[in-house]
Amino acid sequence: MRRIPSPGSTKPERRTTVDRQLIPRGVKRCSTGKFLLWILPWAALLAFGLYSAGLCLVKGLNQTNMDNRFAFGLWIFLDLTVIALGAGAFFTGFLLYILKLKELRAVINSAVVIGLVCYTGAVCVLAVDVGQPLRAWFTFWYPNVHSMLTEVTFCISCYLTVLAIEYVPIVLKNRKLRQVPSFLVFEFELHKLVYVLAGVGTFLSFFHQGSLGGLYGVLRGRPFAFREGFAVWPSTFFLFILSAAAVGPSFILLTTWLVEKISRKNLVRPEVFGLLGRISGLLLAVYVLAKTVDTLIWINRTSPEIGFPAAQYYSWQPFGTWILFAEIVLFGLVPALILLAPQLRARTGWLVAAAAMACAGVALNRFVMTVQTLALPTLSFDRYLSYFPSWQETGTFLAVVAFGVLVYSFSFRYFQLFPSERELKFGAAAVRER
Amino acid sequence: MLPWNYGFHLDAGHIVFLGAFYTVLVIVATTLVSAALRSRQDLRSRKLERIRWHSEFNDLPARDRACRHVLTGELESRECPHSFDCRECETHARLVEGHPVAAGEEEEIFGMSFPLDRLYHRGHTWVRPESDGTVTVGLDDLGSRLLGTPGQVALPPVGSQIEVNGTAFRVHKHGADVRVLSPVEGEVLEAGAPGAGWYLRVRPAASGEPAFRHLLRGAEVRPWLMRELERLQLTLTAEGAAPALADGGVPIADMSQAYPQADWDAVCGEMFLEG
Repeated sequence: MRRIPSPGSTKPERRTTVDRQLIPRGVKRCSTGKFLLWILPWAALLAFGLYSAGLCLVKGLNQTNMDNRFAFGLWIFLDLTVIALGAGAFFTGFLLYILKLKELRAVINSAVVIGLVCYTGAVCVLAVDVGQPLRAWFTFWYPNVHSMLTEVTFCISCYLTVLAIEYVPIVLKNRKLRQVPSFLVFEFELHKLVYVLAGVGTFLSFFHQGSLGGLYGVLRGRPFAFREGFAVWPSTFFLFILSAAAVGPSFILLTTWLVEKISRKNLVRPEVFGLLGRISGLLLAVYVLAKTVDTLIWINRTSPEIGFPAAQYYSWQPFGTWILFAEIVLFGLVPALILLAPQLRARTGWLVAAAAMACAGVALNRFVMTVQTLALPTLSFDRYLSYFPSWQETGTFLAVVAFGVLVYSFSFRYFQLFPSERELKFGAAAVRER
Repeated sequence: MLPWNYGFHLDAGHIVFLGAFYTVLVIVATTLVSAALRSRQDLRSRKLERIRWHSEFNDLPARDRACRHVLTGELESRECPHSFDCRECETHARLVEGHPVAAGEEEEIFGMSFPLDRLYHRGHTWVRPESDGTVTVGLDDLGSRLLGTPGQVALPPVGSQIEVNGTAFRVHKHGADVRVLSPVEGEVLEAGAPGAGWYLRVRPAASGEPAFRHLLRGAEVRPWLMRELERLQLTLTAEGAAPALADGGVPIADMSQAYPQADWDAVCGEMFLEG
């Protein structure tokens, strides 16, 4: 291109900052100063978390309050929860690219970022938890193919790779990066094949979500968690898949609403919120039904047959029957009914509250499966254990939260996470015009 | 992991588990390699501009992707499936065959000059066929009023090839870096300047009506322009300018000077169909 200054132009050209040049065209973002102010506390939290994780890696797991008896704590609870919440990525991809639910194009980029953040956080925390990151490759080279954990490791690693690849087109679509011809073309070609990745992601997620549940269900020595099932899979295998698929859309809904509130912008149409709520409500209702049947079978048959009346699990405070009620009814049935009722779903307050309750329900389920399972005594000489995470464990946990907020904040600022944002801005302008 | 590794047994568990794992790895790797190879092929076969436009077209809001026959009222609703390249559109050919586009009756539309001897592209450029078989390319009146006097113009070198919906030239103005879409395909013979009233003289790659079928003409211009003014009004409001263009007004000569507070990068990006 030959550059020629226009003879009629007398004013010097306005200069734009590098930060401004990276922001997608046609969307408004806060000033660079405000953005730095926003990320500063999260960066500080991340630094503190990395220090905590570093202590655990260098000095060992004696920095935690876990021991040989209470081997799963805050970190595994966090892993299970974020992996369930991150299921929105695979499930949204499945609905959009395989089932062709085009409306979900409005949230797919955000879902991928959330999935990437959740799975990266989970894998990093697992690396600290395992404690020997330099030997992490052992699990791939010498796999115990009969272990649910091996399947989880393989599937999560593969799926994290898939999510990272799915994130690439989002990054390459950045306004500045797409000026590089090879980036523009690669993004275009990779995006054309994204349905393959969506299919692989669905396959991998299906199995690792299930195996995460399955690894509790096969614990014969932990009658609180042990379940009967189908072939080699205990019922928890299927319940974990179902619950993750149910809350994934709810978490996407919740995060999108939060981003809308923080950024004070309309990002997706209300119909998309409604659709996410409806899908989540439907799956949550099926999950609650399945969980209820499973719990009844466990109370009346599985547990008594191996010598443990179910009532005794709930005699240890604070884990009374309230927790079962909260898990199935309060954070399961109630949000499912709200999300399934069109009148309630149409009101943002109810919709968001129900989505938050659904997410809380799955977090409570993962807490129960992890912490309550280990706290309850099994053998006659066992005692009821209590556990409270150390500050190093909590710091590592907070690092994942800070990492997630930072990655999402940068992605929201510099990439087009919500393709409808520009269109909705014009919609708002049209209303102002009237 | 592999048959020669310690602990490997040739049993169903290993075969099923590792088989599934390797299959996934192969699919993911094949997808990546395939995208990389296709990209290399695209770059070699000079598809960059076409891909850039396809990518940007898909990012346009649905209302901006409306078919030209929706603008004229012939169709109720239809999104253009050919990225505004009607040369390959069967629906357009059928509709034009049934109802040829009426000749335009006015050169001044909404106070702007749209001469009848030109064909118009939806990216606000015009094409004027010359007697020697070449065509002249320029910015239409609305595009000119949007950009006013450009700060800097980047024109393609003489002898280079441009293609329909590829980059014709770039204009810098008031913080905006605007890519102006090419209305024709062909070889650049001469470069003009903003003050000259035209920007490029091009020898088209093909001649005759089919080569220019994608361009608006005659009676099509007025409804399209009406839609563009609505779009402009919305864009200006959304991008921080005061509510503008009340009914009956005429766009002023240099809008960016009148609304310096507006985000002109966004306004021009929207109006010139750049993502």
